[in-house]
Amino acid sequence: MRSRDGIRPLFVRLFALMLAALITHLLPQTSFAEGPAEIVCIQCHSGMPEKYSQPVKLWRGSIHAENGIACNSCHGGDPKDAANAMKPERGFLGAPKEPAIPAFCGRCHIGVMNDYLASAHGRALGKGGPTCVTCHGNHQVLKATLELINEKSCSRCHSFDRARMIRDAMQQTDGMITTAETRIIAFKKVGSDTEKLEKELFALRNRFHSLFHNVNVEMVNKESARIQADLKKIQSVLATWDDTGRKRKIAGAAALSLMLLVALLAHLLRKTFDET
Amino acid sequence: MTLLRKIIDWIDLRIGVREVVQKELTGYLLPRNINAWYSLGSILFFAFVLQVLSGILLLVYYVPDAEKAFKSVSFIMNEVPFGWLIRMFHAVGSNMMVLALLLHMLSVLFMGSYKRPRELNWLTGFILFIMVQGISLTGYLLPWSQLSFWATTVATNSANAIPVIGPYLVEFLRGGVLVGPPTLGRFFALHVAVIPIGIVALIGAHLFLLKRTGVSAPPFGQKETGNQWLGDSYHYENHPGGIPFFPHFALEDLRAIAIYMACFLAVLFFDPYLFFPKDAFIPANPFVTPSHIKPEWYFLANYQTLKIFPNELIGLSLQGAAMTFLALLPFVDRGPERHPLKRPLFMACSIGGLLLWIGLSIWGHFS
Amino acid sequence: MDNNGRRTFLGLCLAGLAALAAAAGGWPLFRYLSPRTNIESAAKVVIPAKDIPEGEAKFFEYAGSAAVLVRKRDGSLVALSAVCTHLGCIVQWQKEKQDFLCPCHAGHYSADGIVTAGPPPKPLPKVPFSVAGGTITVG
Repeated sequence: MRSRDGIRPLFVRLFALMLAALITHLLPQTSFAEGPAEIVCIQCHSGMPEKYSQPVKLWRGSIHAENGIACNSCHGGDPKDAANAMKPERGFLGAPKEPAIPAFCGRCHIGVMNDYLASAHGRALGKGGPTCVTCHGNHQVLKATLELINEKSCSRCHSFDRARMIRDAMQQTDGMITTAETRIIAFKKVGSDTEKLEKELFALRNRFHSLFHNVNVEMVNKESARIQADLKKIQSVLATWDDTGRKRKIAGAAALSLMLLVALLAHLLRKTFDET
Repeated sequence: MTLLRKIIDWIDLRIGVREVVQKELTGYLLPRNINAWYSLGSILFFAFVLQVLSGILLLVYYVPDAEKAFKSVSFIMNEVPFGWLIRMFHAVGSNMMVLALLLHMLSVLFMGSYKRPRELNWLTGFILFIMVQGISLTGYLLPWSQLSFWATTVATNSANAIPVIGPYLVEFLRGGVLVGPPTLGRFFALHVAVIPIGIVALIGAHLFLLKRTGVSAPPFGQKETGNQWLGDSYHYENHPGGIPFFPHFALEDLRAIAIYMACFLAVLFFDPYLFFPKDAFIPANPFVTPSHIKPEWYFLANYQTLKIFPNELIGLSLQGAAMTFLALLPFVDRGPERHPLKRPLFMACSIGGLLLWIGLSIWGHFS
Repeated sequence: MDNNGRRTFLGLCLAGLAALAAAAGGWPLFRYLSPRTNIESAAKVVIPAKDIPEGEAKFFEYAGSAAVLVRKRDGSLVALSAVCTHLGCIVQWQKEKQDFLCPCHAGHYSADGIVTAGPPPKPLPKVPFSVAGGTITVG
């Protein structure tokens, strides 16, 4: 009895194993790229009380998450070793104190940090002035847009008047950049070599973005004008591409008509042989 | 004119060219009730020649190296004068040729032209169909775009379902564990040398068989639509009192080819990306699988079949069985009747099969 | 007869269209295969002056063809096309003799490109260059 009982589960298990092997072998093997294993920071923090778990939630919707910039990219530590993840020996930095925030973010965003430090905002750092997170938020960092300059946000500290002037000056340029980008992407999708234009636009956008941290109205106006002049060059290249497209369509229409004419003539010529 | 006549006389005196023209062109009689569907063969021949010519032109600038392939295609599309035209001509042309090929097969199917003694015509045609699929599949990889790379990955991966040898077969097809530079090398050789030579040889066989058996008369507008062949001895089916191939039917062929070209050029110039899914112009990246990778439209039904069945082996076997059945159709369907309206069972099956194919393709497209 | 006339007319029209189609297809074909000259010809070649010691020669690509810079024993520079004027082989610099030898049919040129022996019909063409601040700019 005992031996039979012992054999049976073994047999069943063996059979199940074989079946599983067969199934996994025959199943479509379509998963080529699996995401990287979740880091320990997220594993622990997700299950913690609101105060400690919220950063994870916020981060998930951020541009950092989108580009694979994880917790340890900013806060340091060891994302693979749960026991020692937050030890300073492993490079853990924790959260920066307010005056240290620009330097914290500026490790990656160097240009932006310098622009900020040189501006009225940066000069007021530690004296009640805004830091990076005042406008950009901390964990849910979004791709910077003009929308960040708004009455609600700015009037926390001062009147919106000057800020509005700056935003109005930048609005048009912003629109031009967005339009140029959409059009370049559309051309790229149909096989045009857009690499040069993309690089130019990227440089222009960076120049434009550095204006965001400059709160000098006059300088913003001047630089915007220069950027717009360069954007017009990109627009003219795109216009010649449009023109080429139109010319090709006209040539195509001519070739198509030629073929239809050949068809018609062949048909008529064929008919002349009917009567004989 | 007299000079031309003299030249022809001179040649005729030596090789008897007038006799050849009389026998093969003006004296080659075709059935009186021949219809436009019979021009699809000429269209296909013409389309294939265009593919060969545009393909040779692309070879001038294309570099079959994984590092350089995408760049070279981009160079053709953007830098070389009219390179975009040649490239799109080849890419759109392949799709148009497959379309014409499907119509050719359908017309042969519905007019019962594959019936004996023309089983071999159908069989060679069917092999041609498979070779055209092969040349499309191998050509798809050559631009080395995201689309090329992942479509090839998925397509070669389906061989995995074959028991025992599957995994090795996949590796053999790819020249490595994954699609990579070795795959490009072998697909390039298949696309520009092996398969084209095979296609040329089979076109030769297909035309030879056509010449030996003679053109079949369409079953329409005839009293007797049954198969005339008795199967007792070789017999060339001639059509006394029919229309000559030249100039009558040659002009009809020309008309058909011009209409085909007009359709082709309409797509080429006004909707060139009709057959191009997105990701066709993004360089291949072995580490990023695009979210929705789809094969070309004529493989969508196969793709969807594989997806329906939880087990790829079943899906693959089913496809293999369907293809084998189609290839051997003239040996299965041996009834003498050729008129589609007098073959209700055949009509129901073939229209059902066609609708199934279209349905699976649409499903595959939107899934 | 009327039918014949119509037939001839239609035939001629069709032939005309065929010619037109051939031309429409031939032009892109010609342009596609035409050599692309405008890119290389504009390029200038910059070579650091210290790369060429006295008595040595440096070969480089210029305007889609081979060229050579020589610093003669007296320190002066010469820039020449390196393509032999006989049959187009590339000449070699012989440091000991301070002259050019064409390996194909033993044509000899002086360091200034003048034919000294062998079959070459013309001297090696001179290539324009300028020296400024330790760099030589050819072109």
